[in-house]
Amino acid sequence: MALPQTRVDVGGMNRPQGRLVATTALAAFPGPLTQRSAAHLLRRAGFGGTPEEVRRFAAMPVRDAVDSLVHFPSTAALPAPSDVYSPVALLSQYGLRGLRALPPDQRKAINREIRRNEYQSILSLQLWWLDRMLATPAPLQEKMALYFHGHFTSNTIQKGISPSMTFNQNQLFRDSALGNLRELTRSVSKDPAMLLYLDNEVNVESHPNENYARELMELFTLGVDNYSEDDVRNAARAWTGWRYDRINETATYEPRFHDDGVKSFLGRTGNFNGDDVVNIIFEQPQCARFFAASLLNAFVYNDPEPALVDDVAHLLSRHHFELAPVMSAILRSNVFYSDRAYRALVKEPVDFVVGTYRTLGLSQMGASVLPELRAMGQVLFYPPNVAGWAGGANWINSDTMIARQNFLKRTMNSQTLAQSSWLRGIPMQPRVAARALVAAILQGDAAPASLGELDGYLGGVGSSALAALTPENYDQRISGAAYLAMAMPAYQLA
Amino acid sequence: MRRLNFLLGTVSGLAVVANGDHLFAQALAQSPLPGLPGAAGRCLVIVNLNGGNDGLNCVVPHGNPQYYQMRPSLAIPASDVLAIDAQLGFNSKMQSFKAMYDKGMVAVVQGVGYPNADHSHFRSSEIWQTGVPERYEHTGWLGRYLDDADLPERNLFKGVAVSQLLPEVLVANRTDIPTISNLAQYGLVADRDPMARRAFSQNSHDRSLPFSSPYLSHVMKIEDHAQRSSEELPRLISGYKTQAAYPATPIGRSLALAAQIVGSDLGTKIVYVSHGSFDTHVSQTATQNNLLAQFSDAMSAFYSDLAAHGNDRRVLTMTFSEFGRRVAENGSRGTDHGEASPLFLIGGGVKGGVYGTAPDLGNTNMGNVRYTTDFRSVYATVLERWLGRPSTAILGGSFTKIPVLS
Repeated sequence: MALPQTRVDVGGMNRPQGRLVATTALAAFPGPLTQRSAAHLLRRAGFGGTPEEVRRFAAMPVRDAVDSLVHFPSTAALPAPSDVYSPVALLSQYGLRGLRALPPDQRKAINREIRRNEYQSILSLQLWWLDRMLATPAPLQEKMALYFHGHFTSNTIQKGISPSMTFNQNQLFRDSALGNLRELTRSVSKDPAMLLYLDNEVNVESHPNENYARELMELFTLGVDNYSEDDVRNAARAWTGWRYDRINETATYEPRFHDDGVKSFLGRTGNFNGDDVVNIIFEQPQCARFFAASLLNAFVYNDPEPALVDDVAHLLSRHHFELAPVMSAILRSNVFYSDRAYRALVKEPVDFVVGTYRTLGLSQMGASVLPELRAMGQVLFYPPNVAGWAGGANWINSDTMIARQNFLKRTMNSQTLAQSSWLRGIPMQPRVAARALVAAILQGDAAPASLGELDGYLGGVGSSALAALTPENYDQRISGAAYLAMAMPAYQLA
Repeated sequence: MRRLNFLLGTVSGLAVVANGDHLFAQALAQSPLPGLPGAAGRCLVIVNLNGGNDGLNCVVPHGNPQYYQMRPSLAIPASDVLAIDAQLGFNSKMQSFKAMYDKGMVAVVQGVGYPNADHSHFRSSEIWQTGVPERYEHTGWLGRYLDDADLPERNLFKGVAVSQLLPEVLVANRTDIPTISNLAQYGLVADRDPMARRAFSQNSHDRSLPFSSPYLSHVMKIEDHAQRSSEELPRLISGYKTQAAYPATPIGRSLALAAQIVGSDLGTKIVYVSHGSFDTHVSQTATQNNLLAQFSDAMSAFYSDLAAHGNDRRVLTMTFSEFGRRVAENGSRGTDHGEASPLFLIGGGVKGGVYGTAPDLGNTNMGNVRYTTDFRSVYATVLERWLGRPSTAILGGSFTKIPVLS
């Protein structure tokens, strides 16, 4: 059976070169961590860190470093979002019938008001989530929520999906961050935003709708070629009966819409319901392989070898799809700290933006990051389609590269410098400063000639327009040099 | 690979005859270097009707009673159809497109698909874009064309995706394709700072880095391409004056930019544009009608703009969609994923009319329209008779050409 494929494999070069040492790949890496490997762990299991955080992690045993990320502290103190809009109050004020009875102009005005409120609410939720990624003491929790958002996708403000439903789905991903994959799959199947997004809400006995049943297997749990068209039709029948209650904004099961007949599904026969379908899917060895490949693609490297996928699949099966022990094993493994995994992933835009803020030690996002992220091709709560963001090399093309570089250029200015305590502490000697910037921003991953350029820029060499580094030009020059370090190729890679 | 074809062409009399098509077209399609006067090379604009456009409510079989039986709530009443003849007609929202059809600028190819249809959006779209149904392939059929087309090395705009993502159809082994979603934003802010600019171009050339990564060369190549192409583009296309009122829709904006690119001596051979989503599982009529109206109006503006610049005969537009939709409607006034569907070839160079065999709604594959024209026949026709290149190596086989181009 085919493994899930990366959809666009530019040049067939997604898997790192060199050979996998399969026998010891998942064995615990003995350590010690270095600043490079600690920064690697912080990038993958979170959104990077300041030089100080990197130093703190580098001083820890691997097990403690990973434990602190996987068994994270409470995040209850983080602020809740301020604007989670639901049109229910407005709609129930009139009632559906009352609304229809209104003159068209008034009805239109109400609809406009709803749209405006929804849009404002989504912008505020996007910024809230980005700020949370920036401030959280549990970065892996948000990284997993982001991973699930791209995996079990649901777009917002369409098909009647309100910001409050989108927020609830987001919270489900956060609550399940290191929970059980089978339970999450069952829960997300009944999540109101998902019911509406993939039409399971209109999937009823008299008229089955296959949309959810197909994507559940193709994109969420098994991968294409691992089920038949008959399995799709039978899974759709099993999933009938789940409806969305518009007044309470909840999912409800209504037996009168459920197909109670016998279904044949993946070689089994019975009067199955939706939960049965998920349980049968999770009994397939392919399901463990599918999630193993997906986790390796997201956290280790792309196009993992089948032997490595099988090893992680066994781990998932052994732990009954509990994520905490599996993620812990992955993040502590030899393969995770191997040269082959280092800088082997492309930063997704959210990672690129939040990572920049976190590295600098800034405390808050500005609304200006929203259009920047849009230009880079990732808008939270708006995945491009049900497959989520394609990722990997797909993130990088001329259009998005320009957006990434322009974001860095616009971010790195004197005001940013004023808020970044370590950046303000960079010494005044050009050679020392260049090396300090490359160490803090790139863990030294700069080409000698690029480092030379940085030296020259800081020292005012090679250009009559620039004077030597002085207290007067320090802010501008240091933030400019930090930009140049971020503009280096390694910065695109996680 | 090209060399091999050439040899085949000389040793086999039959192949020489088959190749006659492309040799003649090749002479017509020679593209002068960008910037030289009289650039008159042909180009292809490819429009992805993304999400699975329902073919039966787009090119409507209004003479077929089965259509009305199987779509009690979705069928378009015969009186609303913009009839081509007693059997077929366009969706009622496609007035401006029908007007183009009436002028002989539109060819409808019916029942286009491929063997063993896949009902996944992603796999089926991949098959349409790579042109390879039998196995996983990473290059697109037009990417392979660009790799193979002997276009000048220094041309950065051989193919352009008006998109934020590089579509699979343009993934190539040796050709970098700029993706341009918004012209106004296609420039590096740092380019205004000479030091930053110098350091930046240094970055994309120095490969002696203390780590290796499967993505490093991709990142460096794209950095270099982004810098050079964003510097060149404004200079190359600023002289173009749009001569049509495009609708203020995403497809309208995309086609306006496409007209500017093909009308600006960039030496561009392929432009990719996407429109949709047509994935109408629920309440299909409003969504599809709206998208088809947007498509028609934008296409009509596009060809008036092209005609005003004398480009309408050198620009061929081809549509595709990953699949059509199931013949019978579902319970939510929508349709589920299907198989074959019609596609359009548009431009001053086509012989307008209806080609291929109409779908037989009584003989379906699990309720889906069976294909009657292999999609690679359309690709082979476009490659050989429009772009002037042999198609066998690109498509991995020889396919019947359709006499659709004049």
